[in-house]
Amino acid sequence: MYPRPIPESQPLKRRLYMAVLGLALLIWLLPLVAVTMTSFRSTQDIMSGNYWGWPVAPTLVGNYLQVFAQTPMARFFLNSLLITIPSVLLVLVLSTLNGFVLARYRFRGATLLFAMFVGGNFLPHQILMIPVRDLMVKAGLYDTFYALILFHVAFQTGFATLFMRNFIASLPGELFDAARAEGVSPPRVLWYIVVPLLRPALAALAVLTFTFIWNDYFWAVVLTQSDSVKPVTAGLANLKGEWISAWNVVAAATMIAAIPPVTMFFLMQRHFIAGLTAGAVKG
Amino acid sequence: MAQSLQLHQVEKHYAGVPVLRGISLDIEEGEFVVMVGPSGCGKSTLLRAIAGLDTLSAGRMSIKGRDVTQLDPVDRGIAMVFQSYALYPHMTVAENMGFGLRMARRPQAEIDQAVQRAAGILRITDQLHKKPRQLSGGQRQRVAIGRAITRSPEIFLFDEPLSNLDAALRTQMRVELSTLHAALGATMIYVTHDQVEAMTMATRIVVLNAGLVEQVGTPLALYHQPANRFVAGFLGSPRMNFFAAEVQALGEAHAVVATPGLPPLMLGLAETTGLSVGASVTLGIRPEKLRLVDADSTQGCDFPAQVRLVEQLGRETVLYADAGPLQTQDSDSGTANVTVQLSAMSRLVPGDPIRLAFDPADAYLFAPSGKTVSVVPPGTHP
Repeated sequence: MYPRPIPESQPLKRRLYMAVLGLALLIWLLPLVAVTMTSFRSTQDIMSGNYWGWPVAPTLVGNYLQVFAQTPMARFFLNSLLITIPSVLLVLVLSTLNGFVLARYRFRGATLLFAMFVGGNFLPHQILMIPVRDLMVKAGLYDTFYALILFHVAFQTGFATLFMRNFIASLPGELFDAARAEGVSPPRVLWYIVVPLLRPALAALAVLTFTFIWNDYFWAVVLTQSDSVKPVTAGLANLKGEWISAWNVVAAATMIAAIPPVTMFFLMQRHFIAGLTAGAVKG
Repeated sequence: MAQSLQLHQVEKHYAGVPVLRGISLDIEEGEFVVMVGPSGCGKSTLLRAIAGLDTLSAGRMSIKGRDVTQLDPVDRGIAMVFQSYALYPHMTVAENMGFGLRMARRPQAEIDQAVQRAAGILRITDQLHKKPRQLSGGQRQRVAIGRAITRSPEIFLFDEPLSNLDAALRTQMRVELSTLHAALGATMIYVTHDQVEAMTMATRIVVLNAGLVEQVGTPLALYHQPANRFVAGFLGSPRMNFFAAEVQALGEAHAVVATPGLPPLMLGLAETTGLSVGASVTLGIRPEKLRLVDADSTQGCDFPAQVRLVEQLGRETVLYADAGPLQTQDSDSGTANVTVQLSAMSRLVPGDPIRLAFDPADAYLFAPSGKTVSVVPPGTHP
């Protein structure tokens, strides 16, 4: 087995290992800790430059209430949900359909089609900035939810298709033969056999895609302008004042913005069951 | 009896490479036909073609007189059991077995009844609520068979269904499948590479080799009257011994055969042999037809040998022996020349000198083409 477990008989090594692990964890979590602490700081703390120390006169919910009272964060948050949820659903549906066809059927140009889905992932987003913006302006979609939904679906489906195709291709082929011999039509094979077995893949993909889209800042800035459309990431940047920045309020808003991806992870976690196909074929 | 399945000049090519090279076969209702052959002989391809999972490159196929060459699997009236069981892992046993009927939009009561009936036959009624992963290999294979039974097909197709089970379970399932065949009376086509399964279960065996049918017949007919060297070597374990020989003289209905290391043998010939004097032929003798004799024996045809390896099987003993100038051809005893099966325990150890004998009437003679040219050994008419 590798890595080898550190045996009980070597206490020094064990302690060193724990210490290094702890240190790594601390460095990893430091920004998060700082933001969390700042979200509890009072305005005086910020004014006096206490960014890293222990908060003086901390306020537990004050900053969080401020976020909703003084900023359009509630609107941004809603916008983000309105953009992210339909995008994720569309990506899942499209990539499952694509993946099923690419994994199970051979047809002319299949490889080329698949290569295009995969290849799209390698395009740097930045080179698409001007053309995509122009495209959206010309299509009359600029500064609407549709612009972001359309773009995210188009862009995420490439990776998602690769993911789904490979997952479906790894399902035992005899399952499909058995279904065909029983007269199950391809759409019903997809619905009754493939989709139930895809649960772990769909859950993983949903979390990934949700996080990607929710956290996107670049396209939010490129394709939106007004507060009524802006998602949370672009909205957060707006909270920075021109002269002074209420960092404690921004930190609280950031915490709020981070809730959905985390929630999503815990919601989907129970679906990440390994070995869902156990028992289908001799393993 | 009525025709169940007819194959007419069935061919299948993959990217120009022929896998099935013109197979014609008639299977009657209620038969248990086992297709055997070495890996890559096309037996699984043929089964998949019968199932309709693969299309034919040429030829026609009909089930119960109805041409099914172009039909989808579901319209052919077949059900297939796969080597890896291919159960739907997210469904219970009952759902697995009823899935085909559910997809055919049959009423739930009918589905339940069919599932209960199949589960009763296979004695898995108490497993119906379980998922496949909670079952053992043997139980899974039973569910897979149950799934076939619920659809009441004209023909059951089995693709090496027992090869994933351990030896004890395989023996048990073999008996159960034979019993099932007797109970259902349905036509069954079974593909395997295991000649024991073929010999024990089949009403007829089809021996396939390189995409062609070598011989079709009852298990004992194939064992005793192999049409050619391939069939003779394929059926029977341990394998038949093959010795290189030469035709020395030809008579009206017999040939004198010279085998290095053996006295000349006079063997009866079948009617038309096409043999000529000097032709290189192969002499075949089954391991159980060889026996140990004393050094001064004069009966039959005898020759000296030296024991190389002894396999004690309890009830019987298999000897692998070197037999001097005898030239064996592709024996499965490695470098040893002769395989002998004794129906008793033996105290022989490697290195012991022995004398082996056989009755020339038990010997087979194969022409250079591989065709059997000797007459059928007496007492072996099935």
